[in-house]
Amino acid sequence: MKVAVFLESYKNKITKAGLEALAAAQKISDNVTAILIGKEVTGLLSIAGSYGVKTVKKAEGDLFTAYHPNIYARAISNVEADVYVIPSTAWGKELAPLVSAKQGYGFVGDVSEVVDSTTFIRSIHGNKVLSTVKVEGNFVVAIRPGVFDLPEQGEGSPETSDISVTPEDSFNKIKLAEILAAASEKIELTEADIIVSGGRGVGGPENFNVIEDLASTLGAAVGASRAVVDAGWRPHSDQVGQTGKFVSPKLYVAAGISGAIQHLAGMSTSDVIVAVNKDPKTPIFKVADYGIVDDLFKVLPALNDAIQAARN
Amino acid sequence: MKIVVLMKVVPDTETRFEIREDGTDVVYDDRIQWIISPYDEYALEEAIQTKEKLGGTVTILTLGKGKEQQVIRKALAMGADDSVLINSADLMESDALGIARIFSKELEGTGADLIFAGKVATDSNDGYVGAAVAELMGIPVITEVSDMEVSESSVVVTREASGRKEKFEVTLPAIVTIDKGINEPRYPKLPQIMKAKRKPLDEKDGANYASVAGSGNSKVKQIEVKFPPKKSGGEIFEGDDAVDKLVDALMNKEKVVQ
Repeated sequence: MKVAVFLESYKNKITKAGLEALAAAQKISDNVTAILIGKEVTGLLSIAGSYGVKTVKKAEGDLFTAYHPNIYARAISNVEADVYVIPSTAWGKELAPLVSAKQGYGFVGDVSEVVDSTTFIRSIHGNKVLSTVKVEGNFVVAIRPGVFDLPEQGEGSPETSDISVTPEDSFNKIKLAEILAAASEKIELTEADIIVSGGRGVGGPENFNVIEDLASTLGAAVGASRAVVDAGWRPHSDQVGQTGKFVSPKLYVAAGISGAIQHLAGMSTSDVIVAVNKDPKTPIFKVADYGIVDDLFKVLPALNDAIQAARN
Repeated sequence: MKIVVLMKVVPDTETRFEIREDGTDVVYDDRIQWIISPYDEYALEEAIQTKEKLGGTVTILTLGKGKEQQVIRKALAMGADDSVLINSADLMESDALGIARIFSKELEGTGADLIFAGKVATDSNDGYVGAAVAELMGIPVITEVSDMEVSESSVVVTREASGRKEKFEVTLPAIVTIDKGINEPRYPKLPQIMKAKRKPLDEKDGANYASVAGSGNSKVKQIEVKFPPKKSGGEIFEGDDAVDKLVDALMNKEKVVQ
């Protein structure tokens, strides 16, 4: 079985989600080709090699300077494969259906476990149910970020060849006009190792600094419950839950969050969950590994100080 | 401007599911409340606002099992003009690619300028149809749009992408899939609900589409469903040294904080 994985990179760096997709691809087959796309990706070859990649196909040059769904999908599709593995990032969620429809391949989205080379486990109904799917024939599989461990590291330099994409008039129908970076270096929730989330218990948007301070100490992303987003305290991009983002970080700190079913659906697969809430009966404590029943405005700053003290 | 919304009818997101005895799917019975898939509702609201600004019509296109009429009436009451329901329990069993092929076939020759879909259906969690239909129709697509400005011949869209924002200019006809946060869907009032009862709901027999869906070389089948493992209750720290105990657990036992 020939497997090709889109080793996503941005600004000359292979993304973590891209490496996780590589790890998933290596579980599907020993015969994995990695696809690198960008204006200049030669510097990434040795990194790909260090993660066990033996064959790289690269689409390099001015045509690939900016992300473009059709150009990227074309580059991926031009690599011959029985199975395409793509990370479920913003780009990947767009590219996977494009490649599937273009090639007439089946599609398995948002996979969190590889059972064998044609059997996968994924979440449906807002993480409330796990679905095992079996595929016949060729297919595209998208890999949920933050679930797979990174591939084992070693040494090696991959055999490399170029992917050619012929420019088409239709490519002019989409132009990347602008990339707007977040005000500060924002960590994407679905790709974060640690998340600190605030709920209604935070009391108002002006109090979120207590969440942000702890997040900054931990190098964490800031999340929020639906109640807080619907009240306009935080942007929708921060929402964890069924109508927000599904996350599984190594550590999830829920402060002032009661744990409505739709929030639990979004975060209960986190490795370690810490809950801080004044109300001991609140459902968040049922999924928490560790809890403190107290005022978050007392606990979070104390936690922040204690972590910094322990580090010194 | 001719606008089409690809709309899915799904179980209410608050539903507590049971698993069928044979373990191959959840139980879909009369206890389930059916709703417009939440992201499709944002897509529908955006479609209606676009029509209100630029003129034109909004058509709902749904694939269903024949029980979707009431939910489609709600979409019509919000402000869509007409609707098509392709009815077939068999087709609903098609894999994602099969369903995209059915939509693409139905959209062929309709002259749609702008096609909306939600970024993901909350039941199947696929996020597939919008982009796949665009590829099959040979028109551009941008997914997970959180802000947009439509003119007669193009649309400028913004979306979140791995912690940054990307802004694209896209030539029409095109497909956009919509994220939460772009608008606040309206609640239809009684006069609109009454008026929606007389709006066209064209039910089509799914049998005519069977050959379209099944022409792939691949099949994706669900063979088992189960509930995720339940976490057992954790450790609650109390007293003056609660925070210190927590820090010790996170740093030394779990090793998730360095």
